[in-house]
Amino acid sequence: MREPSDRDLVRRARRGDREAAADLFRRYWRDAWRAAYAITGRRSLADDVAADGFERAFAALGRFDDRRPFGPWLHRIVANRALDLLRAERRLSDEELPDMPDAAPAHASGDRNLLSAVVELSLERRVVVVLRYGVGMTPKQIAEALDLPVGTVNSRLARALEQLRDSLEVEHVE
Amino acid sequence: MSSDLEQRLEALFADAPDPEPGAGEEALHRSLRALQPAPPAHRGLRTIGLAFAAALVLLAIAAGSLGAAGALHVSFGTKPKPRPATTQLVLPQGANGVAAVVDGRLSVVTKGGFRLQGLPVSAAALSPHALYVAAGIGDALVGMAPNGRRAFSHPAGGKVAAIAWAPDGFRIAYIVHAGRHFVLRLIYGNGTHDVVVDRSVRPVRPSWRADSLAFAYVGAGGREIVYDIGHQKHIVRGSAAPVTELAFAPVGKKLLVATPGAVLLGRKSLVTGEIEAIGWFHGRPAVALEQGVTPPLVRTFSSAGRPLEGFRVPGRVVGLTDGLVVTRTSNKVLAGWRTKAVSTVLTVRPSASVEDVGIG
Repeated sequence: MREPSDRDLVRRARRGDREAAADLFRRYWRDAWRAAYAITGRRSLADDVAADGFERAFAALGRFDDRRPFGPWLHRIVANRALDLLRAERRLSDEELPDMPDAAPAHASGDRNLLSAVVELSLERRVVVVLRYGVGMTPKQIAEALDLPVGTVNSRLARALEQLRDSLEVEHVE
Repeated sequence: MSSDLEQRLEALFADAPDPEPGAGEEALHRSLRALQPAPPAHRGLRTIGLAFAAALVLLAIAAGSLGAAGALHVSFGTKPKPRPATTQLVLPQGANGVAAVVDGRLSVVTKGGFRLQGLPVSAAALSPHALYVAAGIGDALVGMAPNGRRAFSHPAGGKVAAIAWAPDGFRIAYIVHAGRHFVLRLIYGNGTHDVVVDRSVRPVRPSWRADSLAFAYVGAGGREIVYDIGHQKHIVRGSAAPVTELAFAPVGKKLLVATPGAVLLGRKSLVTGEIEAIGWFHGRPAVALEQGVTPPLVRTFSSAGRPLEGFRVPGRVVGLTDGLVVTRTSNKVLAGWRTKAVSTVLTVRPSASVEDVGIG
């Protein structure tokens, strides 16, 4: 039997079909959570951000244009929610918050140097890197998601990659 | 063409951890709660429909008020009004509240003045001290406050088959009929933090330990399982036959278990025969035994399992709570303490099915 498309599921969910909504959730929960985790760096925050993102997306499903793909729209909500939370947290906290405290143990066997370099990126640069290489969005989709000009996304990506290269080279020399 | 760095970034994120399974369950329920069906396209018709519905509701409220005051009996259409399966529920002496499900309809009365009659439910349970009622309504678990207001409505994903409120009132264990399985779930008493405890269980009401830190339920294989909430540990205990009822002691950690032909306290067999109900009487194990044509016999035991006393009660025993026996005769539900007079809680039609009576 053919898997229903995202559009089918969205349409059925909009009519109140909870099974369809649950299928949509299961299809995107892992990706949304991983995106939230990659941006926030904390499991607890990723749980909240991803859940919040879905909650907001489902509440706004009636306004969603179902001719457009569901995934980027959801990731846009999740990414913006993550940014809002992190910014609010910084405003509320006088101390510098740990950036990715959960990341090191979870990636212990992975590319530790690269991970450290990603952690060093500013929040704005890290988000575009995560959406581009973690979620697989195009610069145009990222621009739409973050409400930025495509040129700004491209330049942030380019600068982020440059910074990452520099950091990795320094470590290599040391 | 992607550079080496870009490939490394993709690999780094592909290696990121996955969410915890519990987080997804909770998020799913939160999300489904937020789901709002799209409004119909025709705004004019919708407005007329809403106005008509509002008028009907107002009419129903007015008619209900007058009807309750005995001034008016209202029926819509030409069909004769079906005879109610029950009369009004009466609070037994010394109880804080009573909830009965008869023919799938819930009636509740509490000492605080909360009264409800005829609500279609799939299961129901009173909270400790009968302050709240949790009920399965449609595919949701609904909590109702004493004033009749909905404290919460939580999508359960299926019909709720059994509900058990923790003695401290902070948690509710409930069983949902989801597809071909019964799923055991645990939720806070305010309708938040819902988690799956076991994906396949038997639809037997769970029983909470007195400290509210664990509860017993019947697994899919028919064995009793104690779930330790603090350690999130399932302790499977062995019983020779499928467990039909469970009852933790109101004090301490002793668990009484009924199978089709015997009752066990721990590993000790208390009694054999046809079991109607089990429970605790003033901290002592109690068993109601079916006795053929003679009235059922309720027997109590010492905490070591020694037989203490026995007394006969009319009808069929449907519940044994602390010191109280609830029985069903052909047309009545009776409740009585061993040492006090029996009172009629409810009058029912002989054909009515008394599915549950809970006294708090």
